[in-house]
Amino acid sequence: MVAHYLKTTALALAFAAGMGGHVMAAEPSLDLVGPLSEYKLYVAENTAQLVTDTAAFVAAIKAGDVEKAKSLFAPTRMSYERVEPIAELFSDLDGSIDARADDYEQAEQDADFTGFHRIEYGLWVEGKTDAIQGYADQLLKDVTELDSRINGLTFPPEVVVGGAAALMEEVAATKISGEEDRYSRTDLWDFDANFAGSEKIYDLLKPLIADKDADFVKKTDANFKAVDEVLAKYKKDVGYVSYVELTDADRTVLSTKVNTLAEDLSTLRGMLGLN
Amino acid sequence: MTQREHEGSGPSRRRVLMGLGVGVAGAFTAQGADAASAPLVNDAPHGDAVTAAQSVPFYGVHQAGIITPRPASGILVAFDLAITGLDEFERMLRELTERAVFLTQGGAVPERDPRLPPSDSGLLGPEIAPDNQTITIALGDGLFERFDWLRPHKPAHLQRMVQFHNDALAADQCHGDMTIQFCANLQDTNIHALRDIMKNLSEFLVIRWMQEGDVPPVVPAPDGSTPSARNFLGFRDGSANPDSNDATLMDQIVWADSGEPDWARGGSYQVVRLIRNFVERWDRTPLREQERDFGRRKMSGAPLDGGPQASEHDVPDYARDPDGAATPLDSHIRLANPRTPETQKNLILRRAYNYFNGVTRNGQLDQGLLFICYQADLDAGFITVQNRLKGELMEEYFKPFGGGYFYALPGVAGPGDYLGARLINAARSL
Repeated sequence: MVAHYLKTTALALAFAAGMGGHVMAAEPSLDLVGPLSEYKLYVAENTAQLVTDTAAFVAAIKAGDVEKAKSLFAPTRMSYERVEPIAELFSDLDGSIDARADDYEQAEQDADFTGFHRIEYGLWVEGKTDAIQGYADQLLKDVTELDSRINGLTFPPEVVVGGAAALMEEVAATKISGEEDRYSRTDLWDFDANFAGSEKIYDLLKPLIADKDADFVKKTDANFKAVDEVLAKYKKDVGYVSYVELTDADRTVLSTKVNTLAEDLSTLRGMLGLN
Repeated sequence: MTQREHEGSGPSRRRVLMGLGVGVAGAFTAQGADAASAPLVNDAPHGDAVTAAQSVPFYGVHQAGIITPRPASGILVAFDLAITGLDEFERMLRELTERAVFLTQGGAVPERDPRLPPSDSGLLGPEIAPDNQTITIALGDGLFERFDWLRPHKPAHLQRMVQFHNDALAADQCHGDMTIQFCANLQDTNIHALRDIMKNLSEFLVIRWMQEGDVPPVVPAPDGSTPSARNFLGFRDGSANPDSNDATLMDQIVWADSGEPDWARGGSYQVVRLIRNFVERWDRTPLREQERDFGRRKMSGAPLDGGPQASEHDVPDYARDPDGAATPLDSHIRLANPRTPETQKNLILRRAYNYFNGVTRNGQLDQGLLFICYQADLDAGFITVQNRLKGELMEEYFKPFGGGYFYALPGVAGPGDYLGARLINAARSL
């Protein structure tokens, strides 16, 4: 009853105000409770998977098995990349887990450069594991800590809803050029995970907006589908081919879709009445 | 700074000045005079309501931004397009037209619910002033070639830019499916327009490369004429440009017509060249050599065969100087425009900006020319001129590294029409 009242009131208000085609909720709907708890479950599954996968990845490094560690690098990262909007709430861990060489003045040689990408540099550029043993231990410690912190976290609704767009902003601003996994060229795995994480949030919220703005849903569905179609061309075994195989034309398509998804999903918070 | 802070700082500043016995203290006798005549350190530079209100009509047979006067600031942006079909292309052109009409004519920014991202970047405030904004759209060779439904309609002379003798082309600074040339009095006006278009058309386009530039304002001469602006080599640039107010001449030199597909008539070939100047070395070159290389006096812009009173608008008489005693045969202006009856058809309309991109890895200044020119026939125009310039004396002082060839669409007749409508119709009817 209450939810129904909120919905109809929101509709009436939005039409009265004539808000440029956007149908606004009057205030955060109680309907968000369901999607939020489902999303929390999704994040918990991913961080648990991250701990499991990282343990295997680290074990390969400890065993000095470069090839095995290389093969585990991209798949291990995916569960992190899917839930980045939440993981990034803990900026100390995000820096330690996922920073890039450009974040440091001395780049790869900087003592503070740790985490996945320092290990990636060790595996692909240095081609050995002895210099990255310490980074591997630290990584496992960090992801375990992340998992436990996230399990104790109450998810702020605006972070979850805003996360759909935030993931697209990440790709648009710092990934589409292929700078994230520059040593391994496994960027397409990350793209897949970022899109999946964004689409998950969108899918959970879709029932709340489908009857309010059918055009928005139609356009956003089509854009996610277009991304899937481009990525599908580059699938290989359980993952993806090297980023260098991405054609300029497909990069242009991905770039326009990412930017348009970021534009459109940036209105989700407002549509759902969140500040 | 808020109004309150502004008011608060006035009196204390006044007290300090008075205490120091500053001579202008008399100006502060009234609160009003204080506000009006005592600028503060962080006051904005004064804008000009007259220039802000200047607008260039968007509708017309030809696009604005080609023969309309060049304002001080420009940005040339080359895009890659993600369109796949004719319907999408039409939708993009219609939306682009809609944005361009608003951005060039100005108006109030629509308000949105504050829980949503604002519809406008806010760079120009709630009311967009036209500020002489023009937005000129041109299409590249690669776009026509990519689609079966566009290829048959490609303008007759449109082609992919190739490397010339002195070029060092950087792949990521060349070509593109479409260019937008933004020109306005203030660069912020152009930046606002660019951001608006990127935001509203994000599903269609991605920037491939861009270059901003400006042209310094020039004080009018005593006789009321406006001398040509100087480029970063210190020379006046564009002295011999054809008269853009001469409609007959523009029809010959600038506007494409016969020999073009029907849809393309009234458009123009746009050439963009990013040309770095080696300014340190140039500045270490003797003046007389600079003038010989260029073919003009540096300060006045006058041709070298003129007397001390000669002006940049005097025409050099090459017939009386067949051996290049006054104006060397391989000087820039003589090669570019030999001023013979046969080379009249090679004239182009230049509309360049100076660019400044910071510093190179070698610690030298990265500056030069954002060369833009328009012509009715690309082969007879820029390409012929550029081939004639091969081996010119100045080559060692500059290096072209980017750009491309594009076709500036015909104009938009009025509301209801849109950029490229005749091209879309032609493609549909095939």
